[in-house]
Amino acid sequence: MEAASIPTPVAHDDHHHGPPIANQSSRVNSEVLGILLFIISEIMLFGAFFAAYFFIRVVSADGWPPGEGLPVAVAAINAAILLSSSVTMHWTDVSAKRDNQRAMRVGIVTTFLLGCTFLFIQINEYLHLGFAPKTSASASVFFGLTGLHGAHVLIGLLLLWMSAVRIFKGKVGPDHHRGLEIPGIYWHFVDAMWIVVFTTIYVL
Amino acid sequence: MAAKIRQPGWYRALAFSILGVLVCLGLSTGLRAAFTVDPVYDGEAFLQIALLMVPLFFLGGIGCFDYWLRWASGRTVVDDHADHGAKSWRDYFKVNTDHKVIGIQYIVVSMFFMFAGGLMAMLVRAELAAPGRQFVDPNTYNGVFSIHATLLIFLFVIPVFAGIANYVLPLMIGAPDMAFPRLNALSFWMLPVAGTMMLLSFLAPGGSFAAGWTAYAPLSVDAPIGQAFFTIAVQFAGASSIATALNFLVTIITMRAPGMTFFRMPLLVWANFSTSLLVVIATPFIAASQFMVLLDRALGFNFFNPANGGDVLMYQHVFWFYSHPAVYIMLLPGFGIISEVLATRARKPVFGYRMMAFSLLAIVLLGFTVWAHHMFVSGMSDWIRIPMMITTAIIAIPTGIKIFSWVATLWRGVIKMDTPMLWAVGFISMFTLGGISGVMLAMVPLDIHVSDTYFIVAHIHYVLFGGSMFTIMAGIYFWFPKMTGRMFNERLGKIHFWLTFIFFNVTFAPMHLIGVQGMPRRVSDYADQFATWNLVISISSFILGFASLIFLYNMITSWRSGPKAGSNPWNSLTIEWQVSSPPPIFNFDAIPSVVGGPYEYGVPGAVHAVFNDTKPDPLPVGAGAGAAEAD
Repeated sequence: MEAASIPTPVAHDDHHHGPPIANQSSRVNSEVLGILLFIISEIMLFGAFFAAYFFIRVVSADGWPPGEGLPVAVAAINAAILLSSSVTMHWTDVSAKRDNQRAMRVGIVTTFLLGCTFLFIQINEYLHLGFAPKTSASASVFFGLTGLHGAHVLIGLLLLWMSAVRIFKGKVGPDHHRGLEIPGIYWHFVDAMWIVVFTTIYVL
Repeated sequence: MAAKIRQPGWYRALAFSILGVLVCLGLSTGLRAAFTVDPVYDGEAFLQIALLMVPLFFLGGIGCFDYWLRWASGRTVVDDHADHGAKSWRDYFKVNTDHKVIGIQYIVVSMFFMFAGGLMAMLVRAELAAPGRQFVDPNTYNGVFSIHATLLIFLFVIPVFAGIANYVLPLMIGAPDMAFPRLNALSFWMLPVAGTMMLLSFLAPGGSFAAGWTAYAPLSVDAPIGQAFFTIAVQFAGASSIATALNFLVTIITMRAPGMTFFRMPLLVWANFSTSLLVVIATPFIAASQFMVLLDRALGFNFFNPANGGDVLMYQHVFWFYSHPAVYIMLLPGFGIISEVLATRARKPVFGYRMMAFSLLAIVLLGFTVWAHHMFVSGMSDWIRIPMMITTAIIAIPTGIKIFSWVATLWRGVIKMDTPMLWAVGFISMFTLGGISGVMLAMVPLDIHVSDTYFIVAHIHYVLFGGSMFTIMAGIYFWFPKMTGRMFNERLGKIHFWLTFIFFNVTFAPMHLIGVQGMPRRVSDYADQFATWNLVISISSFILGFASLIFLYNMITSWRSGPKAGSNPWNSLTIEWQVSSPPPIFNFDAIPSVVGGPYEYGVPGAVHAVFNDTKPDPLPVGAGAGAAEAD
């Protein structure tokens, strides 16, 4: 390796094993910023499916709702389940910062189980709807949007699983909580997105 | 052998891929049996699942996920930088976390796809050399031009810019690496996967995908299985660009050197900042459009089936909401390259630095408001045309600001007309022509007249070849000494430029004429009246292809045995030129401090960055990020 153009006594020390510490030029943590940008991307992905919803429901005026009415009550209960999982997620996060290992374990397991319940109810709802994606374009939109959201719940659950593994191995604490915080932010996004999907698909 | 299969690398990638094929076979037959679909084995069902999943097995085998999976299993992971930096050429074929290695991997792979896509173009021109059928049947012809466009857009122009920026950007802002080095490696490795998938579609039963790079529904829904190769490959290319863009944004925001305020950043960094914003916001739309096509194809959804209430125009809206910004994704990084080259080679500060930065952001914003100008003849509501015409005309203003600022940068500069500068100046003239035909096309009446003619082909090649390609060449010649430590052959570089410049114009300028006269694009045959011009274009395009061989020869021989280039052959002020060529493995021993603007050429004693190495390092050697455990 050649020396830099500026003469430097300590530059290019062969024993230097590792990068210099990067300058932090922003108060935002890079991992948090990363997941927020990823969520912007995800919102746009949902946005494209909402565009499909708009074109098929409003522009082409294919009949809405697909089938003979959607089970609004079931979906509302599901919304409540997912929202309460956001609360337990937040509680887990706070417990990590307070180093309450027991609360953290209870919190992550509760959040995970609530997420699973949501998915179970959603799949059960699919089986009893009486229509399938191939029935009509509005049915495709219904399955497209709720299915896209369901896939995100599944990804969120995978991330929660990873956090849970680390929590139960005692590797999460006040100084090491990014591995819980990042999946947590994603989980809150998945919950918030359900409110939007629920409102447009079931309520409006 | 067993040990080799356990280590991340090509052996394990092969083993995992075979395993992936078996898993997909089991999944497709198992699911079909579970839902009592007859027959249990269906080739297309298996193929579509395999196209989605085998790449993931391959990526796992090559080692993209090892660190994350170790982390996810709850083990203690320590980053010892074992896979950082290349010691021999073999390391370029492995998963590597060094942004400089990844940058070169990106550039070399996208150059490979440039030559592949270029060969397709020659095949198109060979077929069009005379009216009637020459070499390929109409269906193959459709496939060839579709793959030509798809490869050059998704596997060349977009990733080669990501490659150049990957190499240069962290150095420019004084960062030791990108913010997420392992994500960066994953982004790269998704590219060869996507490109290979597109090329493999030639082997698909029923031929390769042939619906153009736009793959309009419902054509793409009803097309033979080759179309699925496009639908799925685009997902991988798109995921790769989103991940890279996210990485660039986080790097630029959180890892700038002390003193590097936003308005002291070189314009290449600004350009990639804007491009990355576009990618993060727009690319999910093409992903969604292809998801919908895939759902329609594979699971019988009705998004684009008008018989069941689907909306085919919706495809075009969603597609162009990405693909118009994609035009800027393919240009803005080039704008940044041109600003670097012009300022350095004209020895003058970039004229109107702040307006240059703001016009980039203006293009980002306006880029989202013009998509339906691709749809003037699609049958959408007439009234949408007028606002789209106006916004399209308006977007020429920030672009014009940039062109005038570049010209003003040259004004009274001490201009050195070497190879990078020739490409930069060639870009300004050619891109202006492409921009002008773009404003013409914004006008609804003219657009209706020339829709789907060679006028469009001429316009897009003036923008993407005379525009993007010229900036890529400027950038590659400009940073070649930094990346390789050697100088390219200036004489061959100039011959490459002049041959390309002249025969680029001979190839694409006549297309304006035959386009206005009505020669349709994307058709393998044409009326006899266009024969003369088409022969001229075809001959010229072969010389254009030959010119790129000169480039290839120059790059290979100069890399192997060119004269040594110093650390700063262009006498540039930006930080990447203040370290050795090629730069040290971790870029810097200590992060430099930025004390002035990046383009203070001609200002006596101006300094952009100072290196603090003379002060004793407050930290013990080897401390810091090297031994940090992940949370």
